Amino acid sequence: MSTAVTHSSEAEHAEHAHDHGHDHAHHDLPWYRKYVFSTDHKVIAKQFMLASMLFLFVGGAFALFLRWQLAYPGQPVPVIGTLLPSQWVDNTGAIAQDFYYQLVTMHGSIMIFLVIIPLAVGMFGNFCIPLMLGTDDMALPRLNMWSFWLVPPAGVIIMSAFYVDGGYAAAGWTSYPPLSGVINNPTFTVSGQTLWLIAVFLIGFSSIMGAVNYVTTVLNKRAKGMKLFDMPLTIWGLFITAIIITLGTPVLAAAVAMLFMDNFFHTSFFLPDNLIAHTRHGIEAGAGQPVLWQHLFWFYSHPAVYIMILPLMGIVSDVMATFSRKPVYGYKAMVFALAGIAFLGFIVWGHHMFQSGMNPLLGTTFMLSTIVIAVPSSIKVFNWLGTLWRGNIKFTSAMLNALAFVSMFIIGGLSGVFMASAPVDIYIHDTYFIVAHIHYVLFGGSLFGIFAGIYYWYPKMYGKMLNESLGRKHFYWSFAAFNATFFPMHIIGLGGHMRRIHDPSIYEFLKPIEGWNKFVTIAAIILGFSQLFLVINILWSMKYGRKAPRNPWRANTLEWAAPPHPGHGNFDRDIVVYRGPYEFSVEGRELDYWPQWEPGPSISVHHHTVVVETVQESNPFGTH
Amino acid sequence: MDFLKVFDMLAWFPENISTFGGELDALFAIIYYVSVGIFFLTFGILGYFLVKYRYRPDRRGYNYHGNNIVELTWTILPTILFGAIGLYSDEIWERTKYSKRVPKPDVEILVMGKTFAWMFLYAGADGKFGRNAHNDRSARALISLDNPFGIDSNDVNGDDDFFVENQFKVPVNANIVMRGSSVDVLHSFFLPNMRVKQDVVPGTWMNIWFNSFKPGHYEIACAELCGTGHGGMRGQYDVLSKSEFDKWSDSKNAEMLAAQTPAPTPSADPAEADSTKK
Repeated sequence: MSTAVTHSSEAEHAEHAHDHGHDHAHHDLPWYRKYVFSTDHKVIAKQFMLASMLFLFVGGAFALFLRWQLAYPGQPVPVIGTLLPSQWVDNTGAIAQDFYYQLVTMHGSIMIFLVIIPLAVGMFGNFCIPLMLGTDDMALPRLNMWSFWLVPPAGVIIMSAFYVDGGYAAAGWTSYPPLSGVINNPTFTVSGQTLWLIAVFLIGFSSIMGAVNYVTTVLNKRAKGMKLFDMPLTIWGLFITAIIITLGTPVLAAAVAMLFMDNFFHTSFFLPDNLIAHTRHGIEAGAGQPVLWQHLFWFYSHPAVYIMILPLMGIVSDVMATFSRKPVYGYKAMVFALAGIAFLGFIVWGHHMFQSGMNPLLGTTFMLSTIVIAVPSSIKVFNWLGTLWRGNIKFTSAMLNALAFVSMFIIGGLSGVFMASAPVDIYIHDTYFIVAHIHYVLFGGSLFGIFAGIYYWYPKMYGKMLNESLGRKHFYWSFAAFNATFFPMHIIGLGGHMRRIHDPSIYEFLKPIEGWNKFVTIAAIILGFSQLFLVINILWSMKYGRKAPRNPWRANTLEWAAPPHPGHGNFDRDIVVYRGPYEFSVEGRELDYWPQWEPGPSISVHHHTVVVETVQESNPFGTH
Repeated sequence: MDFLKVFDMLAWFPENISTFGGELDALFAIIYYVSVGIFFLTFGILGYFLVKYRYRPDRRGYNYHGNNIVELTWTILPTILFGAIGLYSDEIWERTKYSKRVPKPDVEILVMGKTFAWMFLYAGADGKFGRNAHNDRSARALISLDNPFGIDSNDVNGDDDFFVENQFKVPVNANIVMRGSSVDVLHSFFLPNMRVKQDVVPGTWMNIWFNSFKPGHYEIACAELCGTGHGGMRGQYDVLSKSEFDKWSDSKNAEMLAAQTPAPTPSADPAEADSTKK
């Protein structure tokens, strides 16, 4: 421990950067092992990022198509209407009715399974865990590689439904049977839904492999001296998420396998007897229960909501601590709140099913457990506010996006209380109110959190700084357009607008909100195009960006001890951890940060950390 | 001041015509005002901190790791607040949805969803349903596109049962109890003005009930994705005064009687019904 070198100046760090990075690089690897089938966690993280960004734009384009149809039903898609494939549009260039339902399904499925989960868990999990734990790679690098390489085939499979009779899956991202059983097809027909099931199964498999790896790495490969409560909250978020995945995803896999059999072989796990269909089932064996699918699906997919947000809660805590130059307020409370949300996440799935025909008695149970989730969520929000309190807040692009996460999460959380209250849910269930809620949490929350993480770690990923002014433009445009898009959806929902209908204009009671639909669509188009700032920024900075120093944000966590563009093996020195991750603005230190890897005695006095000459055994306050 | 309506969420609800609807809307309002309060509290603090503690080169952050008493306070207060909302909601939930709390029906109707229409079966002149898929599970085998309710043509009680498609009529100030199901995929029976929404599941029957205090002409919608015609699954219903409703049902009964005289129950397929006779 005593041999660890103590660096205190930035310049010294930067000097070492390149020589050491190359020492560890494996020059003997052929190019396809370095850039394609790589076992380096950083390369895998970048692969997740690029693949998911691609799908982000596919999913986003689909969203714009369906927004167009809702605002201007039956009118040709502007500019590109006539260029679109004939399966998608009628001959005037307007969205075809059956394609509308495919759009709804594919927008949701792509965004959840191929964008948010791979970005939040795949990208940040791979990039952050080994670096922030101060280790060279994952515990199981080859498994890690496979966890990525199941995603592109899944993406290709789900998209290849374009070439199948009937097009993409059209039963919604929740794929409720009997609709998803596609009972009108004869047995052994490959429909878009069949491909959807195969793809989701593969993605689930990829998640499980990744998660097993994360748990193993966190438990076994922490740097010397790093206790569990010395881990940054990003790691806590990812670690708890990985536990949720290992517990929940196998259930989804089982349910998907059963639905696949109903869909392809016409068994009756979820299909009741005597359904009216153009063709009768192959097997009329039993009386399946459609609601069973909903139980199994939501048993995974409700925790999946937390899979999509817990890592970002951690990331946002780190970003906020760094840019307010303050320790995270109530670090342990934050960890327990994360764990509390994860645990409660497993006993609330029924709140998706208040109107499903599940026994209303269960509605009571699930309503109460759901409402309790508001408690750990508010603990987190108040602790984030506490982190800002008496800080010295710098509004970088990363910080702006983190603040957007917190504020949008407050709105998304509050709108969740409406739906958690079962009697209120009677009216707003399956309306645009829930669409507004999910987008406040998954876009306003998760995606802004992902942006914050990208702005924060890009320097370590590519060794280049992102352009701040482009970053701000991206943030301001996204933030304004986001709220203009999704806030009015609450109003649309209260007007009674059902989800997933292709033409609201035929309903008398939806006339008062017609204007809002147009407003939302225009805002959504702006929102979609403002993402170009991000793409341009990422691509431009890769080549022309300013060279990143080793620790550009003057942060404390271990990834900043690595060279600016770490090679295979990550670190150019031995890492020993001396303290927690958030020792900012410690009294008695000249610098306002104190990295985890720098030695030096300190004590904790009434929740403050104070530098001392030596730590004595008899110190009444104990060592930190 | 019309633009202020944007901030008044409650103004966007369609008119409520149901006896329990007022209570649901009031509960929404309570949660809405609590949320608006929390919103201004948290955003106020957030905005204040962001301005007050913005970056100044001559200042440092404050090294402080948190305080357990503060943590406990903001754990307990939300627990009480949200717990109260939960318990109060449950009271209303039990009254509107619990199977045991479904009131005694003044009019009982069966509702069946199919892609893409709603069908309603009335008990007819005798006020009694014959054997059908609702009161006898084995009659599910009789369900077909022509006979969506699985009516058994051999049961004389069912001879006067009549069904209407995509529209129904109910009397005002009466407890209407519907039993809902579906012949193919999931649908969700949604009456926006009545504050009624219930998924209907093939193979299972759901209790749906309401009591309307305001006569008028309203819309039915489907709220659960059910295929390419989901958005077009629109129906209409009328809440009529007692006398108008009686007049309508009498005319329907007379129609049924006239139709019966030459051949029994045109709504059921006799061949299929016979094959299941025990």
